[in-house]
Amino acid sequence: MAERSQPSANYRSWPVITALTIVSLPLLLMYVYLFLDTVTVKQPDALLPSGLTLNHWRFLWQTTAGKANIWQVTLNTLLFSACTTSLVLIISSMAGYVLSRLNVPARGFFLAGVMVLHAFPSVTLIIAIFIVLQMIGLYNSLIGVILVKAAIDLPLGIWLMKGFYDTVPWEIEMAGVVDGASRFRVWRSLVLPQVKPGIMALGLFSFLAGWGEFILPQVLAPGNQVQVLSVYLAGFLADDNNYDFNMFKAVGLFYLIPVLIAYALFNKYLMNIYGGGSKG
Amino acid sequence: MKSSRTLGLVMIAPAAVMIILFFLMPVVLTAVFSMTNMTTATGISGGVYQIAPNSLIALKSAMPEIAAEMAEPRYTIDEAGLTAVEGLGMAPGIVAELRAKHIGEVFPARRDVERMIKDLAERPSTREVKQTSEQFNRSVLNTRFDSKEQLFSALDNLGFKLTPEQKEIVAKTTYTGWTWTTENFSRMASSPDMARVLFNTVLYVALVLTLFNVGYALLLAIWTHYMPPTPASIFRGIWLLPRITPVVIYVLLWKWLAWDSGFISILMGKFGYLPKNYLLDTAYNAWFFVVLINGFIGASMGMLVFSSAMKAIPKSQFYASEVDGASRWQQIRYIILPQMRWPILFVTCYQTLSLLASFNEILLATNGGPGNATEVWALAAYHTALRNYAGNLEYGLGAAMALVLVVIGVTLSLLYLRVFNYGTLVAKPLIED
Repeated sequence: MAERSQPSANYRSWPVITALTIVSLPLLLMYVYLFLDTVTVKQPDALLPSGLTLNHWRFLWQTTAGKANIWQVTLNTLLFSACTTSLVLIISSMAGYVLSRLNVPARGFFLAGVMVLHAFPSVTLIIAIFIVLQMIGLYNSLIGVILVKAAIDLPLGIWLMKGFYDTVPWEIEMAGVVDGASRFRVWRSLVLPQVKPGIMALGLFSFLAGWGEFILPQVLAPGNQVQVLSVYLAGFLADDNNYDFNMFKAVGLFYLIPVLIAYALFNKYLMNIYGGGSKG
Repeated sequence: MKSSRTLGLVMIAPAAVMIILFFLMPVVLTAVFSMTNMTTATGISGGVYQIAPNSLIALKSAMPEIAAEMAEPRYTIDEAGLTAVEGLGMAPGIVAELRAKHIGEVFPARRDVERMIKDLAERPSTREVKQTSEQFNRSVLNTRFDSKEQLFSALDNLGFKLTPEQKEIVAKTTYTGWTWTTENFSRMASSPDMARVLFNTVLYVALVLTLFNVGYALLLAIWTHYMPPTPASIFRGIWLLPRITPVVIYVLLWKWLAWDSGFISILMGKFGYLPKNYLLDTAYNAWFFVVLINGFIGASMGMLVFSSAMKAIPKSQFYASEVDGASRWQQIRYIILPQMRWPILFVTCYQTLSLLASFNEILLATNGGPGNATEVWALAAYHTALRNYAGNLEYGLGAAMALVLVVIGVTLSLLYLRVFNYGTLVAKPLIED
């Protein structure tokens, strides 16, 4: 049975596996050493580690001079991603429903607009956003970056949620309306549970996108008090003298672990988004 | 039943507000800012009128003698000065005589006013003359005026005889805020640096797109297509890692690989080569790594799209071809590739736009270096407007550069909308009120 799931049972698969292993080696090497280097001691010119240590993780209990406290930064990152995710989820699950089911004026125009914005590279707007945030006084505040990041993720969210609502059978809503429920009630109690996979997918995507976002916080909120992990780590990277790879990698791994866990647990949902073509 | 319409408007309002505020407004404002000469020096809110040394230098070319006059202090006998002299506690006759005979007079130089004071009936001492004359010093140099009118009336009071046109020139050269201009666009069109950046951008997009986003992605998809499901999903997982890894860590890993204390240097050291920074030592190496770094991320999306498209090809076509004795290459050539035309077009279109606008990876990896070798358009706009070594951030010019990308972005998005015909998705709602 296993063989039948292959497209061509007549051919051996080891040549392609070998070829792909060879081209994947650099990537594998990078990720294996990312983990290895954070817990081991290595002589400067050695390729293999010579002992175990937890010294590279000292940033967890020591704050480097001139740098922000790692836990404060982690909390900021968490706040940033969580707030962005909830904003995107709430707003796009409402707007997606409207665009999928309700008859609003200029619906076609709105749909096309969302589609264009979804394909449109938002990062080109960063200069104007920077000036606007300075004018309205939200520069260097977490709220400003959260709003901007949420707005940038919205077109994808709305488009995705609309797609999921489109697959929900009309009968469910018909039944609800016939039983006398309002359209809002129908949406809340009947339709929303049907699009849980979409909400999961979008939520996860937004969270990961927020967690990894670099350029927006770097430009709009670089201050120590509101720093997020990406900016914190980039600060290390830019620091050319005193380049301690192993400690940076420990910070990097600390930053990567939540991503890997979320990805391992929910990658099926996430594929809904990546397969459908996200930005990147 | 009008309620569903109202409900629809209420439920879509938050999305509309967010998108208008943080998406559409920045688009419009990018266009607005691109028509200004905003920099850190001019600030982003309005400025003041200040006759500073550098504005006098600018004025000198237009009106040399007026600029020279303005550089000198002027002496005006006015009420404020008289009150100040009274406070100095000199003989009261001095103030009285000045008020009676000289009020309103303007002296172009210190020498003139001091001669006049010396000739007063009280005959003040030299020290008193100096003290007194100082109270009437009304230099325009380095005084700030909040509006044009204040500037002009100050100039009038000081006895500068200027025509309205001359006044306008003075106002223009002494204004410290930003003004409207189209200079950004002519600068973009004529600067050789910009031509270089444009060339870099085209090269970067072309290389990454053909080699990785389409070429290598297709290769990955075909390879995993011919594999048992378990290794196939493992390899797809590996090649998705760059995409889900936050960009800062991802670039950190490449730096670890390519820096002078990094993996390649250590490895080559075993063969007797001196360690060096492979990422930044030559322009070719920098380009090699920039393409690899972005390509490894870009390959994943193509791989997913192509894989799912290949899964949709009926298996019977493969079995039939095998019965006919087709080789693997023939299967790829005659079954897979012809059916990949549409996905390839989609990925090409989509990734062109992303590549044009994304600069995170280059910023973190090479920051445009060595020299300006890997500076692409989006990164150059970022550098011009937001992170500039010279310290004076040119918001206006940066916005003009971003506007080029905005225009390309909107045009291409509209084009995709046509090509991929999303109109079919805009079906009318079934429950009509």
